[in-house]
Amino acid sequence: MIQATDVSLVYNDHEKQVFACNEVTIEVKQGEFLGILGPSGSGKSSLLYLLSGLKNPTSGTILHDGSDLQSLNDQQRAELRKKRFGFVFQQPFLLGYLTAVENILAISPTSKQRAEQLLVELGLKDKLHRLPHELSGGERQRVCVARALVNQPEVIFADEPTAALDHTNGEQVVQLLNQHRGAGSLVMVTHDPTMLNQANRVIGMNNGRTVEQC
Amino acid sequence: MNPLAPTMFLRRNAGKTVPLVLVITLAVMLIQSIIALINSIPLSIQTIYRYTDAFLGVSPRLDPEKTPEFVKILTTNPPAEIEKVILCRGSGAQVKSIVGKWPFAVMAMDRPDIDYYLKRQGATGITGRYPKDGEPEMIVSEPVARNQNLKIGDIFLKPDEAENFSRMPVKVVGIIKAERWLMLSNKQYYADTQPIPIDFALVFTKDRTKQGEYDRWAEKKMKGEFAQLFAFHQIEKQSKEMFEVLYKIINLVIGVLVIVITTMMGMLMNIYQSQRLVEFGLLQAIGFTKQQLLKRVLIESMIVIIGGWFVGLAAARGVLMIAQATLMTPNAFALDVADPMALLYTVPVPIAILIVAIGTIWLRFRNFDPVAVVERRLV
Repeated sequence: MIQATDVSLVYNDHEKQVFACNEVTIEVKQGEFLGILGPSGSGKSSLLYLLSGLKNPTSGTILHDGSDLQSLNDQQRAELRKKRFGFVFQQPFLLGYLTAVENILAISPTSKQRAEQLLVELGLKDKLHRLPHELSGGERQRVCVARALVNQPEVIFADEPTAALDHTNGEQVVQLLNQHRGAGSLVMVTHDPTMLNQANRVIGMNNGRTVEQC
Repeated sequence: MNPLAPTMFLRRNAGKTVPLVLVITLAVMLIQSIIALINSIPLSIQTIYRYTDAFLGVSPRLDPEKTPEFVKILTTNPPAEIEKVILCRGSGAQVKSIVGKWPFAVMAMDRPDIDYYLKRQGATGITGRYPKDGEPEMIVSEPVARNQNLKIGDIFLKPDEAENFSRMPVKVVGIIKAERWLMLSNKQYYADTQPIPIDFALVFTKDRTKQGEYDRWAEKKMKGEFAQLFAFHQIEKQSKEMFEVLYKIINLVIGVLVIVITTMMGMLMNIYQSQRLVEFGLLQAIGFTKQQLLKRVLIESMIVIIGGWFVGLAAARGVLMIAQATLMTPNAFALDVADPMALLYTVPVPIAILIVAIGTIWLRFRNFDPVAVVERRLV
């Protein structure tokens, strides 16, 4: 489904080259839960942004269903992210002036029924019309999960979705993501190995390289 | 329902939107009100002397006996048919204007001429009565009565008043129903009391629309003669020239005001958009293009700016209507609450702010990296 080959991402930091990712080769298979585990600064988030088309690699290729992500223009890449991918970030980013259900409709204005159903399934039945500041951190992240799921994406990219939550809430979020992803793949980056208990595969990262595969 | 519709953000963030709208509203209101009030000065002057567009006035400068000769010149081969020539007397009086006292003419005519003259000035009637021949009496039109606070029975011209002088106290015996400023007395009283008999002539064309053309012809024809001509287009020209320097100063002030407001709005817009970086970063990360976000922000900005402009115009209209009701109308001063020139002066405000807003937003989006937001490097 997604095939990254010899992918590198290099930053210039005060005239010094820093390899966020260094010749990484990785495949995301249809329907799998792939965990990417590593300490802070290991390059796991950078890899996630490369795989999801949010960043362009300095070298190497990333294919999605056989087409090179780098050959897509901004519009095509945005469409891909919007319709075929889903995202959950470290922080539960929501638009503060929209209610929980409106935050989901922002990405898919015609899916009101599915948005409400997802929120109910994620345990937010009574909070559909609450503004983000009226929700707890865990509830906000669950709204983000619903937003990521609303278009039934082929791949969900989760960048440390449990980082801002306590352990219990974190586990709940991962469980919900895994339960509701359907036939879609889940790529989750974390530094906490206990969050990857349900993963089909876990890849370790250190200093921009994949170091082990479980 | 589209939660990302531009109006949604504006409505849900009224606390941020309203102050921006208010700044533009106040700027537009200030500019429009200032210009309309300043324009009311020449407009008031033109309104006071509007009666002169009904005729050409001719007065001898040195020899009082010359008036018949001038009339002969002015009625020989004119470009428009002459309907009537009135020989009258007159004296000076003072009226109040926005910029102080202005001279005004009391015209003294025979009764049949008064009837013709009032008809020509569009008068629709009179409250009270006409002045009796030889009596120290006068009539004034409604704007003059308001301006001077005159009622029937009041004395307007007095022997002990230099500004409104007459040999005897002259009583107001009638108020003319007319929009124009008019002061009339009877010729016989003036003939009896003025030591030097100076007749001046009022020449009326048959077709009113040709009076201006006739006036210009008369000015050329009378060149070199010792006579003073009175025509409305001269008043118009003088009132414009009189305030030329004032308008230059105003243009400078308005220019500075537009620059200050635009800079201030540019800074506000910058702060306003900076507060929304997380929103833009998030939306771009989850699948919106820069173009889509830029378009949305521009529509929002246009709604704020054009909305502020319209509210400003309405507010200015309100302020001007209050000024008209409380200050201008009671003194018979002229004010155009829908002054098109004042409206034009406000146009640079939304345009300049829009340009600054577009520039600010474009700079923000040019090198914007959504990853910096979702990784919390920019938050």
